[in-house]
Amino acid sequence: MPIDLYYTSLSPPCRSVMMTAYMAGVDVNLKMLNLMNRDQLKPEFLKINPQHNVPTIVDEDGFCLNESQAICMYLINRYGGHKAQHLYPEEAQQRAVIDQLLNFGSSVLFANARDLFIPVVMHGAKQLDPAALKNFHDGIGFVDIRLADSAYAAGQHLTIADIALVASISSIDAVDSRILDKYSHIQTWLKRCQKEIAHYEELNGNGAKLYGQFVKNALEKIDVAESLYTGKFDV
Amino acid sequence: MPIDLYYMSLSGPCRAVMLTAKMVGVELNLKIVNLMAGEQMKPEFLKINPQHTVPTLVDSGFVLTESRAICAYLVNKYGKDDKLYPKSPKDRAVVDQRLFFDLGVFYSAFSDYYYPVIFRGATSLDDGKKKKLDEALRFFNMFVSDRDFAAGDHLTIADLSLVASASTMERVNPKIFDDYPKIKEWMERCKNQIPDYHDLNQVGAEIFGQIGQSALAKIQ
Repeated sequence: MPIDLYYTSLSPPCRSVMMTAYMAGVDVNLKMLNLMNRDQLKPEFLKINPQHNVPTIVDEDGFCLNESQAICMYLINRYGGHKAQHLYPEEAQQRAVIDQLLNFGSSVLFANARDLFIPVVMHGAKQLDPAALKNFHDGIGFVDIRLADSAYAAGQHLTIADIALVASISSIDAVDSRILDKYSHIQTWLKRCQKEIAHYEELNGNGAKLYGQFVKNALEKIDVAESLYTGKFDV
Repeated sequence: MPIDLYYMSLSGPCRAVMLTAKMVGVELNLKIVNLMAGEQMKPEFLKINPQHTVPTLVDSGFVLTESRAICAYLVNKYGKDDKLYPKSPKDRAVVDQRLFFDLGVFYSAFSDYYYPVIFRGATSLDDGKKKKLDEALRFFNMFVSDRDFAAGDHLTIADLSLVASASTMERVNPKIFDDYPKIKEWMERCKNQIPDYHDLNQVGAEIFGQIGQSALAKIQ
């Protein structure tokens, strides 16, 4: 029986779930929500998820779950089996590194991008906040440092940590590829992951382009500091 | 061999790790990193953790950051049973959801609202951020309305993480849960059931609270 996934394709967390579900061999019944239309506030959805956010899944027995990382972990824990166990191994240390990256990805990478772009995209700010811009690049920098030592974020093979980071970083790349210019390890890793993740374009590439366009449209209306692209800041 | 934990007691995430280690029965070799004095930027610490955050765990050379990942690791690796972090996928998923809720919604709404004043010299609090905080509190109040603990009928690492956050919030603003009675009741249950709660969590929360309250008093 397929799992219902409430999503919007612009959203990186939604796309991590889509990529993970496919690789876990889980059938997904896609249910798109138009957030601008406030679909997520409709009573039927509030009954499923009173927090009214996406992604949200509904599994058999009506088990509802939100928070993209928890969903990805659940999909492998429950359905990974032999085929997809390697995406979230059970061994404590390997798992811990992935958990660390999922936490970092949420509270640093995704949050920093949101804090940087939302004021301009949604609230009419006339410039990118300099402190937010520095934090944004610092966060990306930590990922690059990590990838200097290993082919994938959590070690020697693809895991749900890479999938989550790809969803965010590909979205940033789609805003303007110059943003990633100084992060050579990320660029190599991104290309590697794009080849390895099944149905990448359909499950992530297209949504990342939408995200990129959405943010780019807003940035075109303001004066954008060069440091967005150079990652260089006066000390 | 004991496990090193680089920490500061005022930090909620550090306290969540200490509460977890106590319950799992793991001995921690505590190493203070004084964030106020910039000790996290010292070369020796940057070598261990280039992201210079606390908590940072070092277990026989294995370095781990992010408090909620550390709590999960301690149970996964050293737990005598899985009560604190159930292995069954659905039960575990609820704990995981609560942990990411704490990280990305609950504590982050609090820090978004208060940190600019407490740590970054802002002279006023933002109304829009207050609304987000109220919404987060409403959600959490709802989570603990129909069950005794955050993820079900017994303590898990979700409670340990959330109570470290909630106690910090309550010490910065003692009235913060006044409109959320279920959160207050849940906190009482946690205080009564978590071993060494006062020493491992309340003391550090008080320290954070003093810093927060004195910064807020300046902008009244």
